[in-house]
Parts: sequence; structure tokens; C-alpha cells
Amino acid sequence: MPIVRHELSQKAGDRVVRTVQQINQKIKKGDALVMTAEEIIDVVRREGVDKATKEVDVVTTGTFGAMCSSGAFLNFGHSEPPIKMQKVWLNDVPAYTGLAAVDAFIGATELRENGKMDYAGANVIEELIAGKPIHLKAIAYGTDCYPRRKIETYVSLKTLNQAYIYNPRNAYQNYSVATNSSDTTLFTYMGKLLPSYGNATYSSAGQLSPLLNDPECRTIGIGTRIFLGGAKGYVAWQGTQFNTRTPMKNNVPTRASRTLAVIGDMKQMSTEYMRALDFRKYGMSLAVGIGVPIPILDEQMMKCVAISDKDIFAPVLDYSIQSRNRKPIKEVSYAQLRSGAIELFGKKVKTSSLSSYYLARQIAEKLKGMIQKGEFLLTEPVERLPEDMAFEPLEIVSKEEVK
Amino acid sequence: MARRKYLLGFSPARVGEPITYIIVKEFDLMVNILRAEIDERGGRLLLEIEGKPHKITSGVKYLKEKGVDVKELNEYVSKEEERCTHCGMCVSVCPADAFEMDKKTYKVQFKSDKCIACGLCLDACPPNAMKLRIW
Repeated sequence: MPIVRHELSQKAGDRVVRTVQQINQKIKKGDALVMTAEEIIDVVRREGVDKATKEVDVVTTGTFGAMCSSGAFLNFGHSEPPIKMQKVWLNDVPAYTGLAAVDAFIGATELRENGKMDYAGANVIEELIAGKPIHLKAIAYGTDCYPRRKIETYVSLKTLNQAYIYNPRNAYQNYSVATNSSDTTLFTYMGKLLPSYGNATYSSAGQLSPLLNDPECRTIGIGTRIFLGGAKGYVAWQGTQFNTRTPMKNNVPTRASRTLAVIGDMKQMSTEYMRALDFRKYGMSLAVGIGVPIPILDEQMMKCVAISDKDIFAPVLDYSIQSRNRKPIKEVSYAQLRSGAIELFGKKVKTSSLSSYYLARQIAEKLKGMIQKGEFLLTEPVERLPEDMAFEPLEIVSKEEVK
Repeated sequence: MARRKYLLGFSPARVGEPITYIIVKEFDLMVNILRAEIDERGGRLLLEIEGKPHKITSGVKYLKEKGVDVKELNEYVSKEEERCTHCGMCVSVCPADAFEMDKKTYKVQFKSDKCIACGLCLDACPPNAMKLRIW
């Protein structure tokens, strides 16, 4: 078998076992051996990296959690007479329409304009995917080419010309654990935090999480085909706040690090994997289900996907300190977090996950099934994601001081 | 010994009656007050009562004779399975350990017999799957 060099970087001395093209040929023939990132852990433990690399072609990952930086581009089509929408509301949730006449972007966390915090863009997205009718209202100043100044009607996923999810930041590579030292309950994007270290919450699929299984993004890059919200989607770009300069332990970052911007057709999605979430007294968010297949190109990739929860660590942060500079109390592993309790200052603190491991596993299984049935082919990245990128804070400065 | 949960409702006129004292003293029942509310509509009391079954029956009879509206409850908080994503946020906020994360399936199981209807899970559940049914 000829050894084909590919453009992905490799560790010195690591031999290519198979290429993405070869994997796809096997998938088309129905011969590819696919396992989930959870199943592979025991296989590698039992049989070793060498043997597992030779046998397994693809490892699938999955995650399902709150991903606030999510939203969708929509095209409504033109009314008679036409309108250049200046302001638009979907079920009373404002959408951004500073684009062409009937294009809009609905953001997941945008709240309904009724003073409450219980309905947002995330609900509109979930209801659209569920096939429900959505009330559309728009106003305009009226132009010679777009005379209409107001419109009220109903749209649905069927009537929209395009409806595609474009999420600027999803699938965070690791994240902090939140706790609360203060004497009052805190309502945060990390959920309800009980007083006096009453609980601790975390939000990563750990050993199943896409970017923790390819920590340097060797195989995940621009153009990578992924499972997104029940449909096929793609990695569009690096996610916002992409950060490579974070501490590492066991070859994976121990802080929130890399992220993905993803794109996919809402018309193919399912509410099983796209769910509005209500974080009381904080706001709304969207739970997004993402799965990424990882081609086992060489032993290095197999070592990466074999990582387990006991080797992945996250920092515990006190969310009662309202500063970006809060220092971690300690680092804990996902195995500890998933056990149901961690120890903080000699006290047993109960833990809760905010992302669903049950659905993360289901997504990895579903993606595995799609690949085995030949319905999902792997891709090589069109471009790699940044190999070195810092995440800078926002400073309050004068016009003269700004860099 | 039996343990049951009751929701008691009384008119404003009955609010002065020391009914809890009487069912403890006269019927030898252990009473745990899970929730209590009094407003212009009267009072509502959520009790967990433990004792010999026939004593509980007599205690309930006494309450009814006193004009108290007595309802036995099996569930206070319910979980809407189709909304639940099995994240597990509820697990750490529940003081009664009524939620269990199954370590095999990673599904959250709600043990309603352990629930004390405190309501702490209601505003903690991101997909809004937990509903308080009576209060």
C-alpha cells in the first residue's frame, strides 16, 4: 500500500496509516470500521495504540450543550408590493436586518420585547425547526424601489427561501467549572449556583467532546463536514475567542481554548438536537448538538482520541467574583466531575453537568451509523485553523491609547 | 409505619386552628411541613405525615371534620420527559437527592417519592422540563 503524504502536520516519525481518501473509499464500500470516542478508550487500553490504529478508520465525537453564540440567516422572499425591511420581529423577537431587503439574522439570545426573559431567538429557531408558524412583522422607511412601509404575516421553515444556522462560536474545547462562594444563589450562564459552594456546574462532553479528541485541530479545519443539529453541516471558520495559548495537561488544554464557527441547513435539522434553553435571571440560549468524525490517519491521532475523562482537567472558578481575572480554585478532572461530587476546601460539593452526556453519546452513535451506512463521507480541511492565536481582553482606553 | 404526603387547604376562618399540634399530639403522627402559605384565599399546607396507617386515617378524618380540605398527593413536581435533555443541572440543586444520573445510560431519573416539593429545581432546569403541579 503506497504511503500517501497529506498536508496535515504529523509528529516526526509517525507513519501515515491511511488517508482521508482511502477512508472514504472504505466507507463507500461499507468496509470502514467506525467507533465512538467513548468506545475507543477501552479498545486502546486492551489492544494498544498500534493495533487499534491499524484496525479503526474513524472515531466519532459528540457534544450537546448551551452555545449562546448561535443564530440563523433567513430569507423571507419579497412581498407585493416589496419592502426593504428596516426592523424585523419574529414572534416579537427582534432580528437583525441591516442586510439586503428581506434577509435577516436571528440571534439565539435576543429576547422578546416584552420585558420578560423567557422567550428568545433560540425559541424562534426551535419552533421553525419544529415546523411551527412564526409571526413576522417588519417596518421600513419606503424607497422608490421598495415602497411598502409595514408588513405583518406568517412564515414557516417551508416558506423561507433559505434558513441556515451560522453559529460564530460552538463546541468549545474545554470550559471552566463554576461554583459560588457567596451567601446568595447566583443565576448564571453556568446555571443555578447555590450559596457557600452549594454546587458546581460544568459544561463539556469531556472524552466525547470534538475538539478534545483532536486537540491541535489536525483533522478539523475549514470545510470539515460535521453533524450539526441533526443534519450535515460544516466548519466555516475558527470560532470567536479561539485561543491556542492555554495551559495543557496530558496533551489537552485545561482551559477554554479552541472553538468552531459552524454552518448548516436548518431545513434538515431536528429539534432533538436544537433546543431553546432558559437560564432563569440570565437569559436564553440554544443547545446545539454537534458531532465531528475524526479520521485515524496515524498513531498520533489514535493517541488523541483515546483520551478519557480522568485525563482531562478543568479549572474551578468562583462565579461570585465578578472579574475576568478570577483565579481558579483548583483543577479537577471530568472523571471527578462526572462522579457527582468534587472536593472544595475539604467540603464535598455536588456537581451538575449543563451539557447532556446522554445526547453527546447519542450524537456520536448517530454519526457512526451514518458513516457505516455510507451516508456521511469525511473531508480533509480546506485550510487549517490557526496554529497560534491569542484571545485578547477588551480594555477601556481613549482614542489616542488604542493600539 | 406509613409515610404519605397531603395538601391541606383551609378557609381564612380556620387559619387560627392549631391542627398540626393536634394531629401530632392526639394521633401520634410525625409531621414534616414541606411548604406553608397563607394569603387572602386562606392557608395551604403541604405535609409529609409518618405514622401507623390507621392513625393516619383517623388524623385525616379529624382534619376533614374540622372543615380542612385534604388531598393526598403522590407527585408534586413532575418532569416532562419530552423536554428533558438529561443534562443533569437538577441533580446538584436538589436537597432531597430526588434526581439520579444513571451512570450507564446517562439519563436523569426523577424519584418523585424522594421529592419534598421545595421547588429548587424549577428555575434551575434549562429546558424547562420541571413543573410544579399544584402550587
